[in-house]
Amino acid sequence: MWGEGEVSTYYAQLLLNGVIAGSVYALFAVGLTMVYGVFRFINFAHGELIAWGAYLTLLFSQVLPFSAAVAPALGLTLILGISQDRYVYSPLRRRSRITLLIASIGLSYFLRNALRLVWGSDLQTYGFEAWRGLSFGDLNITRIQLAMVAAALLFLGFLYGLLKFTMLGKSLRAAADNMELAEIMGIDMKRVGMTVWTLSALFAGAGGILIGLDTNLEPMMGLTNLIKSFAAVLLGGAGNVWGALLGGLFIGVAENLGVAFFSPGYKDAVSFALIVLLLLFRPAGLFGILGGVR
Amino acid sequence: MDYLLHTLVVAVIYSAFAVSLNLELGFTGLYNFGHVAFFGIGAYTSALLSLAGFPAAASLFLGMGASGAAGALIAVPALRLTGDYFGIATLAFGEMIRLFFLNERWLTKGPMGLPGIPRPFGIHGGVAGLPFYLLLSAVLGAGVFLLAYRLTRSPFGRALKVVREDEYVAQALGKNVLSLKVRIVAMGSLMAGLAGALYGHYITYISPSDFTLNETILVLLCVVLGGRGTQWGPVLGAFLVIFFQEFLRFLPLPVEFGRVVAPLQGMVYGAALILLMLKRPEGLLPEYRV
Amino acid sequence: MIQVEKVSKSFGGLMAVCDVSLDLGTVPITGLVGPNGSGKTTLFHMITGFYPLDKGRIRFCNEEISGRAPHEISRRGVVRTFQHTRVLPFLSTRENLLSAAPNQRGERLSSLFFKPRAVKEEEKRHWARAEEILSLIHLAPLAEELSGRLSYGQQKLLELGRVLMAQPKMILLDEPTAGINPTLIRRLIEILKELTRKGVQVFLIEHNMPLVAEICDRVFVMDSGNLIFSGTPAEAVRDAGVIEAYLGRETRAS
Repeated sequence: MWGEGEVSTYYAQLLLNGVIAGSVYALFAVGLTMVYGVFRFINFAHGELIAWGAYLTLLFSQVLPFSAAVAPALGLTLILGISQDRYVYSPLRRRSRITLLIASIGLSYFLRNALRLVWGSDLQTYGFEAWRGLSFGDLNITRIQLAMVAAALLFLGFLYGLLKFTMLGKSLRAAADNMELAEIMGIDMKRVGMTVWTLSALFAGAGGILIGLDTNLEPMMGLTNLIKSFAAVLLGGAGNVWGALLGGLFIGVAENLGVAFFSPGYKDAVSFALIVLLLLFRPAGLFGILGGVR
Repeated sequence: MDYLLHTLVVAVIYSAFAVSLNLELGFTGLYNFGHVAFFGIGAYTSALLSLAGFPAAASLFLGMGASGAAGALIAVPALRLTGDYFGIATLAFGEMIRLFFLNERWLTKGPMGLPGIPRPFGIHGGVAGLPFYLLLSAVLGAGVFLLAYRLTRSPFGRALKVVREDEYVAQALGKNVLSLKVRIVAMGSLMAGLAGALYGHYITYISPSDFTLNETILVLLCVVLGGRGTQWGPVLGAFLVIFFQEFLRFLPLPVEFGRVVAPLQGMVYGAALILLMLKRPEGLLPEYRV
Repeated sequence: MIQVEKVSKSFGGLMAVCDVSLDLGTVPITGLVGPNGSGKTTLFHMITGFYPLDKGRIRFCNEEISGRAPHEISRRGVVRTFQHTRVLPFLSTRENLLSAAPNQRGERLSSLFFKPRAVKEEEKRHWARAEEILSLIHLAPLAEELSGRLSYGQQKLLELGRVLMAQPKMILLDEPTAGINPTLIRRLIEILKELTRKGVQVFLIEHNMPLVAEICDRVFVMDSGNLIFSGTPAEAVRDAGVIEAYLGRETRAS
């Protein structure tokens, strides 16, 4: 039915779409894994930061031009992220991981319903018309998709610089490796904590906006993307920043290539299945060594 | 009055559901966040069988059996995971089952759901059948409660607590930890399946949207609020939560507020979980005097 | 009754236990000593099944136990304590003891539902034994107390009581006297001697040298994963290798 070249172009396009989606997933996953690396628990409410970032931008874009709306939206998302720590997670720091897990599930449920309270359950969109895309050979890429990749690269590059070259970054890595030792060595844990939550919230919020550019906004988007983030985190080894990045890319590609083989209804199941498989067979991840921000 | 009966039925069913979760979570320390999957498997199996012509009463118990078997099957690989990873894996599993219900239309009719599920023992649908269904639920619910009671107030229950407190000590004392865990998950799944089947035959129409994360949060709240590791805790928790939920539905609110009730309810439940963890993690009925 | 043959275990690149062989024969009380980090606790973990062996074999009563799960080894009669007390803090003292009774019928679901009377009878017997042990370890007045509330020394005794309850053939004690006062140490020694009179073998890790000299019939010394000495405590104190292992380290460090 198809010619040889057309088949490979089809897959190449899927691959490209996957990499683009994956670059945003990488942003989510990096934020989630940083929190895990330093605080050793999975923040379920991370997904809601993604959703709130996207929806707040929608809100502000009704009175401001879109690019100006991003700033206050991200600012508020940041406050939300830091409040999560201040009011829920910090007080529970010394408790068991399970208590933290239940609290974070409760927090995520709370935030998701708060979102639904304000914006309702219907799909929303930023309302951009489909801009004319660019073509490379037989492959297509829209302007929005380009923006997504560019933004993701920007953020990740910034993170790389931070971790590699600044004192703050080094403190972060030390804290992720061994929190008690880092404290004894005089590293300011409050500052480290603040940095991690800030980065995590920023990445989540920004990623949410990027995803919102490409797809619709709906209240469950936080949870759906959380699952993908978590799969990516696991793939790369919990706490491993660059592993999470690669994991995000992998998930994006797997999802998009996957629809060539199974019904699109199961697209979200890719992440679930990966999570279950990884936990059963390789909890340390494909690239992973457990623990530590590398 | 009818509304009270309805609330009681749902409360009794959820008590059984919560008791089954508590066996795993409260007594054995297994954070099974996908427990709703077994509720759903019980409901769907029983519904499908009775819609295919089996007597509803038999379907109820077959649904229970299917759930128990599924639990035992999943348990063996899943239980190799520790604490929070097990929690996340079971959460993912729960969602996968829901996706299965949603996508396998040839079996489950997908999002359309299964309407017209017959009631067992010829109990009438609608208001007339309410007192009888309450009786049925109460009897089966009491059975579940007594089963859990026997399991926990016994050397078996004591061994579960040892596993919960310290798995290494449990092994050093000769307890086969994996076997204990698999057995309790099989029992818990069995009971959840019965609760699910009871639910299906009560509501007479089920769809995948009845078995979501919302139900997981709800039953988790029942257990955590009422008191983990006690016999009556989950029952108390279930009654409190269900009465609250139905009370909200009953309130004569103006139409505009209708849209708002569900998310507000969700916020209350989420906040309740957080506050419980912060202030009173052991729940209302504590297991031991601290 | 325990024979350890050429066992080794490494973590990452670190050799924690290196080609160790020992035979406990029928010696009533054997000590295992050595500087910190010499691999003693690792060896205990290997004997009791908590760590798999990289190399070698371990036999108990001529039956191979290496590679078996910890609970199976425990059921064969090899019972251990841990280096830091591991009582079950939210169970009462009595419940801690009861949980240690071996092969409980009541833990089997079939018996629980179909033979309730037999289960009840067995529980009564376990309660009676627990009472005996409670008075032996002098914790009877605290039977209903949550074990997490006991003092450190009392918890150590409770752990010993738990071991007794398990009716072992051989017990492995990891630093049983660490952190407890001399009176309790005396009590512990009495209990151990009583046990050996009943034919139970004791293998213990200790840093308390006078204690080792007093009660151990034989002692093994480990250093950096290797077994460097086997003999009586009196001989050990005079052995050049042993002295170097303990003292040489200090002089090198300073």
